[in-house]
Amino acid sequence: MLDRKSYTLYKFHKQLNQSFQNKRSLLECALPALRNLFKLDRVYFFDWQQERALLSLKMMCKKEYCMDMQEDISVLNEPVFLRQLLQTGIAETTDLSYPALYVLVKWQRPSLELKAGEVHSYMQDRVGVLRLERFRKNRVFTNAEIDLIKDLGLEISHNLRNTEIDQAKNQRLRVSTALNDLSTIFASSLRLNDGLELILKGVQKYFRFDRVRLYLTDADGSKIKSVLGVDVSGKVTQEDGKNLGEGETQILKEVFDSSATYRSVRSVVYIPLKVQRNKVGFLTFDNLLSRRKIGYLDFISLQQFATQMALTIDNARLFERVQELSNYDELTKLPVRRYFNEKFAEEIYRSKRFDLTLSLIIMDIDWFKQINDGYGHQIGDWALKEVSRVIRTGLRQTDVPCRFGGDEMIIMLPRTNGEEAKIIAKRLKDRIHAITLPERYTDGEAVHLSISQGISSFPMDGETPEVLLEKADKALYVVKQNGRGSFAVYREVAEQAEAAVEAGTETPAEPAADASAAKSSRPGK
Amino acid sequence: MILWAMPDAGAKSREQYNTLVSLFKEEYPSADLTIRIFTRNVLWRRMFTIKNPTHEEEIPDVIQIPHYWTALLVREGVAANLSELDPGLSLSECLLPLKAHCYQPGTKDIYSYPWWFDLSALHYRADHLKLVTAHPEQDLATWQGLLNVCEALRETFSGVAGYYPMQNSDWRGSLSMRNALPCVWSRGGGLLSENRSETLVGTKNFKEGIHDYVTLALKNYMPILRERGSLGTLASGKASMMISRKQGIKTFNVRRGLRVRTLPVPATGEESHAYLSGMNLFVNVRSEHKKDALKFIKFCARPDIQLRYAGMVEAFPAFEGAFEQFIFSSSQRLQTYTGILSSARTLPNITIMGTIMEILKRILAVCATQIVENRFTQASLDRELDLAAKEVEYLLSIYEG
Repeated sequence: MLDRKSYTLYKFHKQLNQSFQNKRSLLECALPALRNLFKLDRVYFFDWQQERALLSLKMMCKKEYCMDMQEDISVLNEPVFLRQLLQTGIAETTDLSYPALYVLVKWQRPSLELKAGEVHSYMQDRVGVLRLERFRKNRVFTNAEIDLIKDLGLEISHNLRNTEIDQAKNQRLRVSTALNDLSTIFASSLRLNDGLELILKGVQKYFRFDRVRLYLTDADGSKIKSVLGVDVSGKVTQEDGKNLGEGETQILKEVFDSSATYRSVRSVVYIPLKVQRNKVGFLTFDNLLSRRKIGYLDFISLQQFATQMALTIDNARLFERVQELSNYDELTKLPVRRYFNEKFAEEIYRSKRFDLTLSLIIMDIDWFKQINDGYGHQIGDWALKEVSRVIRTGLRQTDVPCRFGGDEMIIMLPRTNGEEAKIIAKRLKDRIHAITLPERYTDGEAVHLSISQGISSFPMDGETPEVLLEKADKALYVVKQNGRGSFAVYREVAEQAEAAVEAGTETPAEPAADASAAKSSRPGK
Repeated sequence: MILWAMPDAGAKSREQYNTLVSLFKEEYPSADLTIRIFTRNVLWRRMFTIKNPTHEEEIPDVIQIPHYWTALLVREGVAANLSELDPGLSLSECLLPLKAHCYQPGTKDIYSYPWWFDLSALHYRADHLKLVTAHPEQDLATWQGLLNVCEALRETFSGVAGYYPMQNSDWRGSLSMRNALPCVWSRGGGLLSENRSETLVGTKNFKEGIHDYVTLALKNYMPILRERGSLGTLASGKASMMISRKQGIKTFNVRRGLRVRTLPVPATGEESHAYLSGMNLFVNVRSEHKKDALKFIKFCARPDIQLRYAGMVEAFPAFEGAFEQFIFSSSQRLQTYTGILSSARTLPNITIMGTIMEILKRILAVCATQIVENRFTQASLDRELDLAAKEVEYLLSIYEG
C-alpha cells in the first residue's frame, strides 16, 4: 500500500504526465495543482536567469487561474531566503510578513566532463524557484508539507526539462520541414528572381525575422550588384547595388573576411553565400525592430540552407550567362537573328492583342564591301562595332536591335508609328555619320560612315513579321537607288510610286524582282 | 472572441477583467469573451509573431497596447483599419494628447482606439513627511530637494528594518524608463529631435536626466531587484514616497486610512514634466470576429465604462466626458492633476518608438544589475547610451527615413 505522501506524489505525477506544448502550459497545470494541494493563496514560478543572477517572475497562480506577472529579484542582493534555499533547496525565511516558502526547482544531469578519478559527479542546473504564499490566516507550513513540497518541486523540474526537450525537438522538426518546403518551391521556380522572392518571404514567415535581405555580388564577387529584401510588412523590395550606402557596401568585405559566426546576443546574422571560392553574395536576417535574439538552432539551419541556396544561385547565373552568349552576337554585342525573331513574334502578337503600333527599321552600312576591301577586314569589323555601339546606346529600353547578317541590322520599335520611327532613324543616321574611320588607315582623309534605312509599320504596312520585313526592305532598296545615306518609310515610297504611275512619269516596277536584284549587289552580301 | 491584455491591476487584474467581461456580457449576452493576461514583454514579442501564427498558436481578436506601438503595428500590417470597419468611428471625444497615437502616421485612418491613460506624479505619505519637512511642496519641487528629503527620511526611519525612503513602482522592481523620462525631459533632453530625424539619446541632457533617476538606486533610497512584498512599500510603512504613474490617492486613502498626497515629479532642470502614457486597443487583422471586437472597443470607450474601469485600474479615462466627470469629482484631484496634466509629455507614435524603449529598458536593466553588484560607473552608462544612440540612428535611417 502507498503511504499518504507517496500517493500524493503519484497523483501529482499523473496530473503532469502529459505532453505539454511549452513551459507556460506546464506551469498552468502544475501551479494550480500545487495551490489546491496545499490550500495556498498564491503560488509563483520564477525563472532562474543564470547570466544575470536574477530570479525573474514568470507566472502567478491565484484562485483558479494563472497569469503573467513581473518581478525581478537579484540573487546578488542576497535576499534572506537565498542561503537557506541554496543549501537545503527550500527556504522559509523571507522578507514577507506572512508565511511563504521558496522551493528550488533544479535539474540534475551527469556531468559531461568527468575528471579522471572522480567516482560520480552531478552537475546541478538551477531551473527556477517556486514561491508558495499563505497570507490569509497566517497558516505556517508543517514539516510534512515542506517535505512533500520539496519532492513535488523535483517532479516539476523533471517535467520542465522534458517539456524543454520536446519543444526543442518540435522546433527542429518545424524548421527542417519549413526549409524542405522552401527548397522544393525554390527548385520549381522557373525564374531565379521569382524563386528568390519566394524563398526570402518563406524564410521570413517561418523564422519570424523582422527583415530578410539577399545581397548578390557581381561575377567576381567584388561589388554588390543588387539587393533583394523582404521588410517587416512582408513586402518585397529590390535595390540596385549602386544606390547602397558606404556602410552596406563595407559589409561585403566584413562578411567574407569574418565568415558567419554566431553570437548569442545578436539580433542580426550575416551568412556568406559561397561556391568553392566564388562569392555569390550574402544573406542577412535581422530582428532589429523587435530586438529578439536569433537562436543558435535557427542560425545553424539557415547556414545549411544558405549553402544550397548559393549553389542554386550560382547555377542559375551560369545558365543565364550561357543563354546570354547564345543570344548575342559576339562582335557587335547585338542580339542574334533567332532571339530577334522570337521577340518580334511576341511583340506582333502583343500589338495585335492590345491594338498597338510597331515599326521596323532595316539598315545596312553604305559601301561596306568597299571599306572591307579598301582598308581591310579589321577596319570593317571596327566599323560594325562602332555602328552597333551607336545603335545600342541610342535606342529606348523597349527597342530590340539585331544583327541580321553581315552588315545588315534590324531594329524593332514597339509602340512606334512611321513618323516616330523616322525621328529615331534620323537620330541614328546623324550619329553614325559623325563616325570617321581612324585616320592612320585613311592617310589623314576624313572618311565618314553612313547608313541606309528602310522603315515599315504595323498594322499599316503588314501584320506579319515576314511582310513587315519585306516592306522595310523595299523601302531600303529605294533609298539605295536614290544615292544611299538616308532613310525611307515604305508607305511614303509606295504612295510616291503610285502617284508617279498615275501621272505616267514611271512604269510600276516589279518590286520583288527588283529588290532581290538590288540585294545581291549590296556590300557584304 | 479573445482579448490579450496586460496585468494593469497587478495581482488583482484577473478579477478586474472578470468584472469588465460581466459588464460587457450584460449588454451583449451572446458575446463570448476570453481574456488572456500577458506582461508587456510577452506582448511585445508576440506583436512580431501574431502575423504568421503556427497552427497551434491562438489568434487574438483584440489586443491592448501602449499607445506608441500603433505606428509599428500599422507598418507590420497587424492592426485592422478601424475606420474601414466602421466609417463613423470618431476620435472627437478623445483627449487631445492621445489622438495622434490612434492613427496611421500621416493619415486620418484609425488603427487603435484609446482605453485609458496614466500620468507620472510623486505620491508621499503626509504623516512621514511631516517628520522631516514643514513645506513638502517646496522641498519636493526639485530633484535635489527630493534627495535631501530622502536622506532626512532615512535617518528618521533608521530603526525600521527594510525601510527605503522611496517605494519602487516598477513592476519588475528594477529601474524603469517610464520613471526616468520625466527627469530627462526636465533636463531639456528627449528621445528624438523635434523633426524626429535624429536621436538625442547620446546627448548630455539625456545622460544627466538618466543619471538623476539612477541616483535614487545608487544612494539606496529606492530598493531595486528585491523581493516585492512588505519591504519598501508605502502601505506597510516601510517607504514614504513613490514616483508612480497610477493615480493612487483613492487607493491609499481608502486602504488603511493613509493620507497620501500627490505632487508633480520633482524637476531635475528648469521645469517639471509628467509622463503621459496611454493604453489603446486594436483589432487583429487576422481576427474572424472583427465586428464583435469593434463592439467591445466601443463599449470600453463609453463614458460610464471608462469611468468605472479607470477607477478599477487606478488610471484616467481617455475620453473628455468621462475624464471631466472624474477630475471634477474631487477638488483635491482637480487641484493636484491640473498642473501635472498641463506639463505632461508623451512619446511620439512612430514605428521605432517601441524599439527605442526596449533598447533603453535593457540598458537600465544592466544598470540595475551593476548597481547591485557595486560596479556601476557613470562612464559605463554613458558608453551604453552612446551605443544606443548609434543603434537608434540606424533604425531611424531604416524605418523613418
